[in-house]
Amino acid sequence: MKRCIVLCPGRGSYSKDSLGGLQGLESTKLNELDALRQSWERPTVREMDNSSKFRSSWHIAGENASILTAGVSATDFDQISEQMDIVGICGNSMGWYTTLGIAGALSIVEMGRLIETMGQYQKGNIIGGQLVYSVVDEHWQVDPQRLQTVCDAIEQTPDLHWSIKLGGQVVLGGTKDALQRAMEVLPTIDGPRPLPFQLPLHSAFHTPLMIETHRQALRDLSNLDMRTPKIPMIDGSGHIWRPKACSAQSLLEYTLGTQVIETYDFTAMIRTALKHFAPDYIILLGPGSNLGGAIGHVLIEERWQGIANKEDFIHRQKTNPFVLAMGRVDQRTQVIN
Amino acid sequence: MAVNRASVVDENFIQFVDNLSTRPPELHLDTPLEEMWNGLYGWEIVDMLHTMMQSRHLDIRARELKKSDRSFYTIGSSGHEGNACVAKAMRHTDPAFLHYRSGAFYLQRSKQVDSVSGVFDVLKGIVASTQEPIAGGRHKVFGSVPLNIPPQTSTIASHLPKAVGAAFTIARKNRLQLDKPDDNSIVVCTFGDASSNHSTACGAFNAAALSDYQNLPCPVLFVCEDNGIGISVRTPKNWIEQRFAPNPGLKYFAADGLDILECYRVAQEAVDYVRKTRRPTFLHIKLVRLLGHAGSDVERLYRSQQEIEALEATDPLLKSAHLVHRLGLLTAEEILTMYEQTRTTVQSLAQEAVQHKQIDSAETVVSVLAPIDNDAIRKEATTAPTAEHRERFHNGRLPEKERPRHLAMILNRALGDMLCKHPEMMIFGEDVGQKGGVYHVTADLQSKAGIGRVFNTPLDESAILGLAIGAGQMGMLPVPEIQYLAYLHNAIDQLRGEACSLQFFSQGQFQNPMVVRIAAYAYQKGFGGHFHNANSIASIRDIPGLIIASPSNGHDAAVMLRTCMAAAKTNGLVSVFLEPIALYMTKDLHREKDGLWLSKYPSFEEHISVGEGRICRQGKDITIVSYANGLWMSLRVAERLKEDGIDCTVVDLRWLNPLPEDLIIDMAEHTGKVLIVDECRKTGGMAEPIMALLAERTKNLTIRRVTGWDTYIPLGDAANLVLVQEEDIEHAVRELVQGEQQ
Repeated sequence: MKRCIVLCPGRGSYSKDSLGGLQGLESTKLNELDALRQSWERPTVREMDNSSKFRSSWHIAGENASILTAGVSATDFDQISEQMDIVGICGNSMGWYTTLGIAGALSIVEMGRLIETMGQYQKGNIIGGQLVYSVVDEHWQVDPQRLQTVCDAIEQTPDLHWSIKLGGQVVLGGTKDALQRAMEVLPTIDGPRPLPFQLPLHSAFHTPLMIETHRQALRDLSNLDMRTPKIPMIDGSGHIWRPKACSAQSLLEYTLGTQVIETYDFTAMIRTALKHFAPDYIILLGPGSNLGGAIGHVLIEERWQGIANKEDFIHRQKTNPFVLAMGRVDQRTQVIN
Repeated sequence: MAVNRASVVDENFIQFVDNLSTRPPELHLDTPLEEMWNGLYGWEIVDMLHTMMQSRHLDIRARELKKSDRSFYTIGSSGHEGNACVAKAMRHTDPAFLHYRSGAFYLQRSKQVDSVSGVFDVLKGIVASTQEPIAGGRHKVFGSVPLNIPPQTSTIASHLPKAVGAAFTIARKNRLQLDKPDDNSIVVCTFGDASSNHSTACGAFNAAALSDYQNLPCPVLFVCEDNGIGISVRTPKNWIEQRFAPNPGLKYFAADGLDILECYRVAQEAVDYVRKTRRPTFLHIKLVRLLGHAGSDVERLYRSQQEIEALEATDPLLKSAHLVHRLGLLTAEEILTMYEQTRTTVQSLAQEAVQHKQIDSAETVVSVLAPIDNDAIRKEATTAPTAEHRERFHNGRLPEKERPRHLAMILNRALGDMLCKHPEMMIFGEDVGQKGGVYHVTADLQSKAGIGRVFNTPLDESAILGLAIGAGQMGMLPVPEIQYLAYLHNAIDQLRGEACSLQFFSQGQFQNPMVVRIAAYAYQKGFGGHFHNANSIASIRDIPGLIIASPSNGHDAAVMLRTCMAAAKTNGLVSVFLEPIALYMTKDLHREKDGLWLSKYPSFEEHISVGEGRICRQGKDITIVSYANGLWMSLRVAERLKEDGIDCTVVDLRWLNPLPEDLIIDMAEHTGKVLIVDECRKTGGMAEPIMALLAERTKNLTIRRVTGWDTYIPLGDAANLVLVQEEDIEHAVRELVQGEQQ
């Protein structure tokens, strides 16, 4: 069996291209999740996925987008869990909650409750926002000058913070004013989606601005039935939580506290995945596939398996892919025989 | 064919755990992972078992890789895995000087810092990968900057003196208020039972205990990993207890390293004791050595099959697995799953590591030895302390306002200025305190800088240099004094094997800057004999990366001292500063009361680069190359010969390593005749490398040398029979110059 690390995507991953992706797929985890949504009289994941049209206000809304993402990821996980030796699970941002569920640290019901509750906090209550920028050049090598510009912007702008370190990309979180200033001081990078780019309907996740969310979560979710996982998990600081070799209480504290208000270091997380597990593959669960590049950046930074630049990565992905995104038809077929 | 004991031990474990599955756990708690035993949560015990498995599988993998010549190091930690308990009881910020069997300690500590991948790093060391983060493929060592583990080879316990030095310095920095006052870090160093017999180790125990006896804090935890054997030589039963339990000044704790609950409890007690009392402590952990000394060791040559099997039955992994099962923390199946998953993870990481490059050029090997940034050194060396500081330190009597002084006094003033400039500088050695040194070079410095920065040490050169290494590593600028050159030899390994190798083993990530002052050479008018007239420098000449300064006069001594201090400060370099005893008080050169060997105190604008020699006089007939006493004599001879129409060039090397090679060659070619005046021994002295240099890089030169004899120096007038004399120089010059004229 191939040894793989499974990566759960974050909240912004479900797009109109994802619609209908769950059709024909069986998943006990998804069934459990949808039963829960039904009991709350809220649209189920399957309902949203079956929708004929992608409606931003519905699919991307905080109270729906997270559960939709987690539902698709959990379903994908069920498709591969018997076929692969899954040596570790990790997630990007909200994907951490999915990680907890599919690694067995939370039951699917408790995972649903966590996601639902955290998602509800967002409803009509967006706190600040996030923007995306890049610190690598066209060959995916870190551009020290650009990195310095970002560091300077953070240092000189009150309430602007690292939100997610995402390989060669950075997500900055801050108040409206802080983001406005960042948009002004960060030089534009041309591309299909010019950067910096502000993410719609996102709060300043993983920054100190989320302190109230953290406090509220402590009030509402301290009774989560957190266990140690059945499969090792890697969190957003690169720390490994091993089965029965970690504290469930600390795991709860990390989930409701640290990762809510501190930078989510995706880069460190992937680095740990490589250097502690040396997987044959990293499998990116659906929905979407847009974390492949960020993983590529980390592979390049680590010179993993001789991958030293963008061209190496693309060649490797074409010939013998290391990153398999289940949100891509061509790569999904390589995961599911 | 010999049985592969690694396979046997591996199989034993699987069989043992498999048998456990037929037995129910003894405890049935609802949430055993959250229960506590001996201060450890259930989940922490599981985590330690995981660490032990990682360590074991690294040993097994190293031996597997050796079969295909992909591993270059097979000394393992099997049987010693209980040392993870010590790491667990400590903070990752406590400096740790580790023995080569402390793999589980390293791995357990690495779990405290997420950016460190302990298993992968060790594998990269085993396969000599250039990506190995500490030595970059130069050696397999346990070392890491984020884990506060300076790399050690540790084979001969030579890391113990510096561990004591580091501990002493932590306390001293607190006292000097150079660190956070609440820094209650402690130092740990691990070693084997056999190593504890090394005189170096004994010196370290003594230095720590002596420090404690004088109420000087020295928070060091010596951890003796006692497996009862050193390669094939058995340690007599109970020797370690007998030797160390009653040791005054060294509190003794003993633990069974095969029982992790017990070992952790005792380790935590010992750590708490050191942290609280700041006193040196000895933790004796009894464990076993499995899989022989190294992969190449045939244990059956000195142990019976029965004995080997009996030891394997005490494998700490078996006992720990049993514990975890007994407490209901893991089922037998879960233990085996963890064991096998750890195996496959180590295998996969090893597969990745063997793809890495090894070092492929000699230049890369040596590139990290002692890189010298001359610009940075110049900038630092020519920066004076502030006028205010100097005014205060020198009590208003600035050295540059004094009349010309002899070498010892100028050096005294220069050391004062350095103390004034660098609050982190410490001067220490035998008699350097109140007495001010045997030759008064450190006179009054203690009263001016304080006893915390200028202090006497016990009569143990290894301890002195160990303190310097530890202090340098802890961010100080140590200037140890070795009272006579002959005294260095008993402690030379502290320079050769330790201080100068640190940048090599860590690619400069750890440094132990220092300037070792040594009263050196002979010519004490027959007084003192061998030990006080040592002229043997062979043992320092070939130490990679060691700078050797050898000033001959006060001016150069002051400026070169500043250069050495700057090299230490900016590049972390180690210098030996050889001070010619016979010239300390010399005032005159050619004739009585000419005062030509006195110097005005040089300004901070003056600079002498590392390896920069000097042309003392330039003539057309012959080039004399010398240093120290030889230079002084050569200048006198040259002056006399001038009257006979022989015109000499005289070059002062000033630095014995690196040599001013270009200057030597230029001046040699200038006259075509070279006389090397080397006051050291004929064998291993300075004439050898200079003659080799000239032979390799010049043509058609006439080269001669006058040197000391290959002997120890006797007392009385007999000393002059074996040392270079002015007559010898004069005779050689005449022969070279006039021989040709004839």
